[in-house]
Amino acid sequence: MIKTTPTKKRLLLYIFFGWILLILGDRVGDLELYQGSFVATYALAITSIILLTGYSGQLSLGHGALMAVGAYTGALSIFNAGLHPVIGLIISVFVAGIFGLILGLVVARLSGPYLAGTTLALAISLPTLANQFPILGGEEGIVFDVGVAPARFGDEFSQYKWFFWISTLAALIMVWLVANLLSGRYGRTFKAMRDNPVAAQLSGINVGQLKVMAFALSSGVAGLSGGLLVMLISGVSPSAFPLSLSFAVLTGAVVTGLYSLKGVILGGLVLVAIPEIADSLVSRIGGSEGFTTTLPGFLVSALLILAVVFTPNGPGHLLKRHHHKKKV
Amino acid sequence: MIRQYALPIWGFKMTQFITAVLTSLSSGAIYALMALALVLVWRSTRVINFAQAGQAVLTTYIGYTVIQRTGSYWLALLVAVVSGAILGAVIDRFFMRPIFKRIKSGPIVMIAPVVATLGLLGIIQAIIGFIWGLTNQSIEAPVSTGGFKVMGTVIAFSRYNLLVLIFVALAMLLLIILFQKTDIGLALRASAYSPEIAKLSGIKVDSVRTLGWAIAGASGGLAGMLYIPGYFLFPNAMDLLLVFGFVAAVIGGLESLFGAVVGAMILGFAINFATTYISAKLFFPTAFIVLVVVLLLKPGGLFGSKKSRSA
Repeated sequence: MIKTTPTKKRLLLYIFFGWILLILGDRVGDLELYQGSFVATYALAITSIILLTGYSGQLSLGHGALMAVGAYTGALSIFNAGLHPVIGLIISVFVAGIFGLILGLVVARLSGPYLAGTTLALAISLPTLANQFPILGGEEGIVFDVGVAPARFGDEFSQYKWFFWISTLAALIMVWLVANLLSGRYGRTFKAMRDNPVAAQLSGINVGQLKVMAFALSSGVAGLSGGLLVMLISGVSPSAFPLSLSFAVLTGAVVTGLYSLKGVILGGLVLVAIPEIADSLVSRIGGSEGFTTTLPGFLVSALLILAVVFTPNGPGHLLKRHHHKKKV
Repeated sequence: MIRQYALPIWGFKMTQFITAVLTSLSSGAIYALMALALVLVWRSTRVINFAQAGQAVLTTYIGYTVIQRTGSYWLALLVAVVSGAILGAVIDRFFMRPIFKRIKSGPIVMIAPVVATLGLLGIIQAIIGFIWGLTNQSIEAPVSTGGFKVMGTVIAFSRYNLLVLIFVALAMLLLIILFQKTDIGLALRASAYSPEIAKLSGIKVDSVRTLGWAIAGASGGLAGMLYIPGYFLFPNAMDLLLVFGFVAAVIGGLESLFGAVVGAMILGFAINFATTYISAKLFFPTAFIVLVVVLLLKPGGLFGSKKSRSA
């Protein structure tokens, strides 16, 4: 009999999950496929927050900026350098990772509010830099076109299905890599560093180096998610990365539970579903323009507060605790 | 020939310089009010209050409504400052304190306050949208916003900018008197410095904290009423001001009120000089660069005490 390690089990699980998603992709319409692609993209962004904040204990309010780095890199390598979209997305992971490495070297010795302030300033300043360099296209930005699906998939293979395939596969592969990393030695050292930096240092963990590494890894994941995001909206511009994007991703991460990767897809679903729920609510009860456009923001914020108050360590934790109580 | 041309160029450079200094002062003054509001809350409850942007805009909308009804800017200013104080106290008493009671342990403790205030910010801004709508409103400045004339040219510094400077200076003077010369100020400083010992000496630390939130709210209300007349009023109008106030507070070390003002002035001067002399597009990047340089030299900010308790 084949010996199954947790890593192998996880691989099989992810392949099975991906297979189900692709079958589902054949059964639903274009709109659902498009929304599904956004779910995968947000799930990736949430993964990068969980990696950085949940595991290494560094709070970032500027993940939108890291996503922008990945997005611009991807757009430049596909549109200007004429590379294959898949290679463009891989390059965007690495460039965003290197950017995160440099950023990490600068900010790793900051903590708490100092780190939050620096990342927040980065989130508002980095996208505006695009206006400085003509190659980045200024306010209008540059197009991001992954092209249509290869001909061998047949004529009925729509553009949205192609988006769905790319984003779902990218997200599955990336989350699988991160999950493997975090279930091993790195996950344990990250947690040790987060919960007690001094004790971690005394046991021989190089805290500074580890913090920088967390930044680089998280940034790479965020870069991929940024690349996917602008693929879905077909173009990259500074306005695609507002402060509210950074906050929305953080909301998703808190709703999923910051300390486990298991629910990232739930976080992505919530971020995509809330505007839809708000829309259907509005179409039922109506209201002024001020009401209809601010309702999604209201729901997101309310959910954020409810999540912090009632399930501070994530919904999974709540289930575990109930389970525990029953046993006792 | 050279002499004939040299004088006007020198004159232009001079007015450009004077303008840069004066606008730096007036924008630094507004950043300072916001930074003070954030530092006051941080000192008393160890929370970075992101909802401050929402509180300040909400009180400015209240002030706007007062102006619509009565036509008096000064009455509106008073109402906005008072309602800012009330709102700050209410938020601390009925929102933050219960959350802190619930969340005491686990790694979420570090993040919960940030997330809670971010959520509150979203809710306040949505409520503003429900009540007043999203269209840009404007508040008429009480005095002229036309620039002063210096050596024959009109500069970008008006009577209103001067008024802002005076008001901010007065507010700071009041804060200094409150903190240094009164018993309330002593209680505020004691509960910020060492809550346990303050409690043992008979100070009602919880109420004093709520008072800290109230003063911060008043400061934010003043910031809104002074900032908006040169700008527009909409639910997200103060988001950027919050970011700049936060950056200023971090530069100043978060602990010290004096540091907040110094940080705000450094930021105001850096931004205005960079945009005047290098490129107007450097507005946001300058803030980031200044912050990173300061934090690289002093990771705890300029006036943050080394031995300050961690959050």
